[in-house]
Amino acid sequence: MTLQAAHREAVPEMPNRLGMDGIEFIEYATSRPQALGQVLESMGFRPVARHRSREVTLYRQGTMNLVVNANPDDARVSATVDGQPVISAVAFRVRDALKAHTRCIDLGAWTVDSHAQAMELHIPAIHGPGGSRFYFVDRWQEFSIYDIDFKPIPTVDQHPPALTEMRFFGVVQYIGASRSADWLAYYEHMFDFTSIPDEKRFGILPKGKLMKSPCGQFLWQLIEPDPWMDEADESTECLQRVGLGVPDVSRSVAELKARGVEFVESVALHPEDRGALTRTTLGSVSFELVHKAAPTVQA
Amino acid sequence: MNAQWIAGFGMDTITMTGSLEAKLQAMKGAGFSQVMLMARDLVSHPGGVSGAVAAVKASGLRPTGFQVLRDFEGLSGHLHDYKMDMAKSMLEMCAATGSKVLLVCSSTSRHATDDINALARDLKKLAMLAIPLGIQIAYEGLSWGRNINEFTTAWDVVCLADCPNLGIGLDSFHIFASKTPLDSIDELDPKKIFLTQLSDFMWNETPTFEDRMTTARTFRVFPGEGVHSAQLADLVLRLDRIGYRGDYSFEVFNDDYQQLPLATVAARARRSALWLHDDVLHRAAPLPDWTRTAS
Repeated sequence: MTLQAAHREAVPEMPNRLGMDGIEFIEYATSRPQALGQVLESMGFRPVARHRSREVTLYRQGTMNLVVNANPDDARVSATVDGQPVISAVAFRVRDALKAHTRCIDLGAWTVDSHAQAMELHIPAIHGPGGSRFYFVDRWQEFSIYDIDFKPIPTVDQHPPALTEMRFFGVVQYIGASRSADWLAYYEHMFDFTSIPDEKRFGILPKGKLMKSPCGQFLWQLIEPDPWMDEADESTECLQRVGLGVPDVSRSVAELKARGVEFVESVALHPEDRGALTRTTLGSVSFELVHKAAPTVQA
Repeated sequence: MNAQWIAGFGMDTITMTGSLEAKLQAMKGAGFSQVMLMARDLVSHPGGVSGAVAAVKASGLRPTGFQVLRDFEGLSGHLHDYKMDMAKSMLEMCAATGSKVLLVCSSTSRHATDDINALARDLKKLAMLAIPLGIQIAYEGLSWGRNINEFTTAWDVVCLADCPNLGIGLDSFHIFASKTPLDSIDELDPKKIFLTQLSDFMWNETPTFEDRMTTARTFRVFPGEGVHSAQLADLVLRLDRIGYRGDYSFEVFNDDYQQLPLATVAARARRSALWLHDDVLHRAAPLPDWTRTAS
């Protein structure tokens, strides 16, 4: 097909009105930062920097940044139950953070007040499901936001390579009963996410509704409770786990097992070529590995 | 009689006078299991919002919904911003009580635009705000609404906004006051009717907005007590026929009821629920236990 043929019909591009371009970081809130740190390190993440004014640590491997927030003054930390860490924020890379934030507020998002201290970066945010937040970050091409708010941990490699080429694949969100339509509408309207047909699935847990970010860099999975679950389970809405894309699931599983990571293995759910699920630790933390071909290197 | 029959019917706190606890107790005493709350129940409670929320939870009554956000849609500039703040506070109170439905009445403001696209955009914005809180927005056409004063036009706005948690709220009073043909009920999607409020009244004609307002605010009666009983039965049967299985709440503003003992008012509401259940809907009562006993 020639280039001209594509112009015959006005096929619209997928809208990406925020200029979204992947996930900059994912934040956990916990009152047990060291225990969570051990879990993250077993998954290949390395602590590389500490926040200048708060008890917050940056973990990194390859292109992935994880922020562990243990600041006792943060309500999201004090709200954690039994020391169970929660995914408290996802930061999206966008073209213009202020414009993205303003647009979302105009569309009906709840704004989050900034608590930036003097000389710290004010990262605009809106409220997400449960007590979580969505941040908008635009300064990821010219310089790193972490250079402003974080101090590097001395002698530590600031850019540790990713274990078995792991990178962010997506986020799993638990939603209330019969709430798929609401959340699908929300993400479509706010972020220009698009639904993926039910018959197209990735990984080994094909439940729920799947959406794709407008940049095509990550997926968002919405999972309702089963009908037999009790009311407390039904009503809980949260960001439940992070999905990691790997080119070779078996190799990643073998490598992570060697580092002490345990995987869920059952007749229904066992590590295989499509994906694997780590056993839940600290009562709430698990990761899902999903097969994803390595990115092609740009010439 | 099995208590389950009354489960689909509830009273509004606006019908009675007294403390929130006394109202809840009277409703429960009459056999009701749900209550339509209003913002004033919370803010006027001696224990504040948290005290009112605790009282609702302690009563065991399920909130039917929370009312009411007024004059919200169609504004611009600083008026829009001000109303957004009001809406957020209403949503927060609604969520605190565990109510899953916020009632929004169509605007009466002369500052509101008649551009249906703008009305839909504002309601969609409100619905978006409500999604993280798990709340549905029921948009009701007030019979003295400036631009939207019938359920048919309210439905048009809801369809245009096209948001899963934005639906319609029906109120029999406004339907009868504005004489909207009931045939239009057939055009509604029953899953998008988030609330139905029922009341009757004593006058046959309410031609002006002023008549409607005065009657609506002082002299509504329970379903079956006024002159629109046949119409009301027709409305309920039509809703039943299109598949509406949501709640029926008695939205009865009445100055006389404000000076009657709560138990007396609640008993009248119970009689009305019984009329709807037995004489109008002819809903089947569960068979007595002995019919299920193996012989």
